Amino acid sequence: MPHNRPTILLADDDPTIADSLAPFLERAGFHVLVVSDGVGALEKAQAHRPELIILDVLMPRMDGRETLRRLRKANLWTPTILLTQVGAASERALALEEGADDYLNKPFDPHELLARIRAVLRRARPGERSLSAAWLLTAHDLTLDRRARRVTLSGKTLELTPKAYAVLEHLMTHPDEAVTRERLLDVVWGWEYPAGTRTVDTRMAELRRALNDDPAEPRFIETIPGEGYRFIAPVHGEG
Amino acid sequence: MPFLIGLILSALVGVLLPTIYPVLSSVDFGTVAFVFGVTIRNSSVVAFFFGFIVTAAVLAVYYWDRRRTAQAQTMYADYLQDTNQKRRNFLRRLDHEIKNPLTGLRAALVNLQEARENEERARAVTNAGRALERLTRLLTDLRKLSDLEERTIERFPVDVPDLLEDVVTAVKILPVCKGREISVLIPKVPSPFPTIIGDRDLLVLAVYNLVENALKFTSVEDSIEVRALEDGRAIAIEVADSGTGIPAEDVSKIFEELYRGSNARSTEGSGLGLALVHRIVTLHRGGVGVRSSQAEPRGTVFTMRLPRN
Repeated sequence: MPHNRPTILLADDDPTIADSLAPFLERAGFHVLVVSDGVGALEKAQAHRPELIILDVLMPRMDGRETLRRLRKANLWTPTILLTQVGAASERALALEEGADDYLNKPFDPHELLARIRAVLRRARPGERSLSAAWLLTAHDLTLDRRARRVTLSGKTLELTPKAYAVLEHLMTHPDEAVTRERLLDVVWGWEYPAGTRTVDTRMAELRRALNDDPAEPRFIETIPGEGYRFIAPVHGEG
Repeated sequence: MPFLIGLILSALVGVLLPTIYPVLSSVDFGTVAFVFGVTIRNSSVVAFFFGFIVTAAVLAVYYWDRRRTAQAQTMYADYLQDTNQKRRNFLRRLDHEIKNPLTGLRAALVNLQEARENEERARAVTNAGRALERLTRLLTDLRKLSDLEERTIERFPVDVPDLLEDVVTAVKILPVCKGREISVLIPKVPSPFPTIIGDRDLLVLAVYNLVENALKFTSVEDSIEVRALEDGRAIAIEVADSGTGIPAEDVSKIFEELYRGSNARSTEGSGLGLALVHRIVTLHRGGVGVRSSQAEPRGTVFTMRLPRN
């Protein structure tokens, strides 16, 4: 059946999840292909070239991570969202290291998934490696080496706390995107956190001090009143 | 010379014999030492007595050590039993906490399927949503607890007055806080107030949980106070309320995971809030306690004691 809707490949072994999410995404204007394991996902991804892939991490035959690794190895840079099981920070870091464009912790609100899908599709540059999969991110004289977890400004290494690093990494992999405080709290903690806006603002102040960025005339991070923050410098990814 | 040899031999026998031949440990080591002592050329009484004393000392140490090991073993067995008991309690409570919202969810789905009236269907959806919210909250808090088991925490100076203000600002957004007054008391002298070394986000979460807890167990007429004190060594952060108080039999258990006091059965919450507070304060090498009275003047005071910078 010919269609001009973007195709999403959804891989989840739990039929109740796949059966409920597929019609939801169809209603949102996507064409959805459903598979129940990693091997199927790999085959369908190569045969149908979907615009986006949603992979559950825990699946029989081949788990989501391994599937993603193989996709990337085959030079398939289809934007991918991983559905992670555990909120642990290590799990999230792993998801991004393996080249996922975004991740979502189960259980999630389907609307949240839709928002992530749209954001990932908006950022995607067809056929190209996404910033989330790049090892080295550069913006002006700022570089973030994700392998060494090192940030340098004009060649000088910056001392950042792990949380400030996580915030900067998220902003740099989502340039030109309005990122809410709640999302940043989730990036740092991986769980719902009582919305102490100041908690994020304190972290941001620390980051701006380190980056020598003036909030009134920002080079890197812009405040969007009532909404959150946006990384405004153009980001270039390598490796 | 014989004295020295007697000494070494008896000491050796004292140390080695119980290790090599535990069966022989009941043999009188003094006699053994004496036998060794007299077989040596020019043996003397001094050598024998000295050997005897050393052997006795070695034996005393040996038996003392054995008793200590036995004590440690008993303590370990108690600890295991306690841990097992806690685990059983936890599973039993978890079962209960999951069962309730699941039953609600099931009933709501049946209503949704069978109800004809739109109003009834809408109510079923609301109820299903509420049950889901409860399960999600439980899961989120469980995740927080397990996350804190493995996470290393940040250690930076934390401004206490700023932290308390932040918590109160965050709490005020809650619907339950509508029309409520929460006062923050911070001493003006010494100024600035000493800092705590720790993870600001986690400390915010701990105080937030205590204030949220206080809101749950008080009515609009009651007052809630958040205050900081210091005594040179530690900083105490207190959350006090004039609510109905905690029943005496519950006080010692409220920091346990998923424990619900007799007056907390019907309140919303995951049952993990205070366990999280306990965990966070312990990670900061502090302690948390509670004093509460149901008789006049009634009320509850939670105290987090944290080492000052």
